[in-house]
Amino acid sequence: MSLLELNNISKIYGDLKALDNVSLKVDTGEWVAIMGPSGSGKSTLMNIIGCMDKPTSGEVILDGKDIAKESAKNLTAIRRDKIGLIFQQFHLVNYLTAVENVMVSQYYHSIPDEKEALEALARVGLAERARHLPSQLSGGEQQRVCIARALINYPEIVLADEPTGNLDEANENIVLDIFKQLHREGTTLIVVTHDPEVGEVAQRTITLEHGKILRDAKNPGFE
Amino acid sequence: MNKRKFFLKMITSSLMRRRSRMLVALLAIAVGATILSGLVTIYYDVPRQMGAQFRNYGANMIFVSSSGDAEFTPEAAERAVAGIDASELVGYAPYRYETVLIHEQPLVAAGTDLAGAKATSPYWYIDGAWPAADGEMLVGNERAELLGLSVGDTVTVIYSTEQDEADEAGVTAEASLDMKVCGILETGGSEEEYIYLSMEDMERLTGNEGKLDLAELSISAPGEKLQSYAERISEAVPEISARLIKRVTESESTVLTKLQALVLLVTIVVLLLTMICVATTMTAVVTERRKEIGLRKALGASDREIIGEFMGEGLLLGGIGGLIGAGLGFAFAQMVSVNVFSSSISFQFWLIPVTILVSVAVTGLACLMPVRSATEVDPALVLKGE
Repeated sequence: MSLLELNNISKIYGDLKALDNVSLKVDTGEWVAIMGPSGSGKSTLMNIIGCMDKPTSGEVILDGKDIAKESAKNLTAIRRDKIGLIFQQFHLVNYLTAVENVMVSQYYHSIPDEKEALEALARVGLAERARHLPSQLSGGEQQRVCIARALINYPEIVLADEPTGNLDEANENIVLDIFKQLHREGTTLIVVTHDPEVGEVAQRTITLEHGKILRDAKNPGFE
Repeated sequence: MNKRKFFLKMITSSLMRRRSRMLVALLAIAVGATILSGLVTIYYDVPRQMGAQFRNYGANMIFVSSSGDAEFTPEAAERAVAGIDASELVGYAPYRYETVLIHEQPLVAAGTDLAGAKATSPYWYIDGAWPAADGEMLVGNERAELLGLSVGDTVTVIYSTEQDEADEAGVTAEASLDMKVCGILETGGSEEEYIYLSMEDMERLTGNEGKLDLAELSISAPGEKLQSYAERISEAVPEISARLIKRVTESESTVLTKLQALVLLVTIVVLLLTMICVATTMTAVVTERRKEIGLRKALGASDREIIGEFMGEGLLLGGIGGLIGAGLGFAFAQMVSVNVFSSSISFQFWLIPVTILVSVAVTGLACLMPVRSATEVDPALVLKGE
């Protein structure tokens, strides 16, 4: 059974079909890149997978349960328990230190545990920067804090929205190395990206256009 | 770290690391709390302060005989005075009036306890000095002009029973005392028609003791309490009828009621303004932090948790502002009291928790709308790469 299964989902805004009868499956431990030009439906698909929006029609089966008709309150709980989010703009709370930012995610999920949060930061190579505020961190460091925060509650799916969009090449490579490590450890990764280089390192690439899946293929060069 | 500690950590960090914005809200709350605490202090102290001011306008209670024109005894008056709380009794002046002759002119002499008269009638202006020894008297300005008397003159005061009451055999007796004019009394009122001498001199002159025509009392107490004193005295000492001087007591209570209503109104208006200022600031804070709210929701925060965090920040501000305001409010009230009433004010300790609670409540109310709008933020906001 797949971890995530979208069956014939559509999302319609007035006359606009942002997603048109899209179906796809993601297995546990898979690393999937979702690509496509602006307006192709990537963001809408990500919102639906991330439990921040509901499709107009179709099924969204996560971990064996259809969540397409769940209330906003239940979707919040599902998102908290099963999804780890990584953002293009990092979105760290600017008045909390790196370790406190990681603990925020624990706070909403269960109980803040500083030791565990420090270990998560150490995992992304930021043990020394744990007590720094976001303004004292580089863009790459901020993105690694964001990754540590996404991973802290052991989510079933890590959903990344243009994770390297604001990074230079060196930091992009650091982030991609972390993703490779996560994949080796069995984490399910769904990465939305414009960047072909980021798409190519994934195990599988799904290309969207005009709200439909144009291509869904394994990457031959995947290591 | 448990959830509560981390919650406190988050809200204190938010306030501490975003000082400039929060200072505006804190200032508004502190100003509101200062006015609240200050005006409530004044509100409670005004009756005492105004009561003291009103005592300058003379007696507010008199004792007369309960049987028409008859007299009453000093002992009865003292029994009646004993029923009044000593801390509220500003002055007590018994009066005995007799007709006397000076330079063959008849006039009314009032025998009194001159220290008591000074306390009950602080508005009396004395040209010269108050009598300090036996044989000294005050002469009303009008009488002094008629008789051509001035300070330092010595005159003979004659008391004749013929003018008052001849003895049973119809024999008239005459007594006289040489009295020194030590002060001319100016009040602009009927007091200027009399001469005032000590009760001892009056008794020496008339040769009889133990009778009073009137007693004036100045009591620093609100109207209802005065009324209750009057009723209790009239009941406990039947030969005395205690009456309020309504011209004084009623104007005192009217002024007090109006002043207290004004203070209350100003307090309410200031609290409303504080609420508007805090609501505006919190609305700006919520708008400014839409992305952070979106992030928190994306991380799984429930609406209740978002409300809790923003309310927590607001209520903490309310508490701090209230504490600052309670202290500054006393200073404000003290300043008003010293400048307006020329006397200091006593600190009301119960006002500290009350000011903090009211500030917290006002801030909580002010936060309701902005916090509600915070829960409407879409978590997908953080995914749009804006």
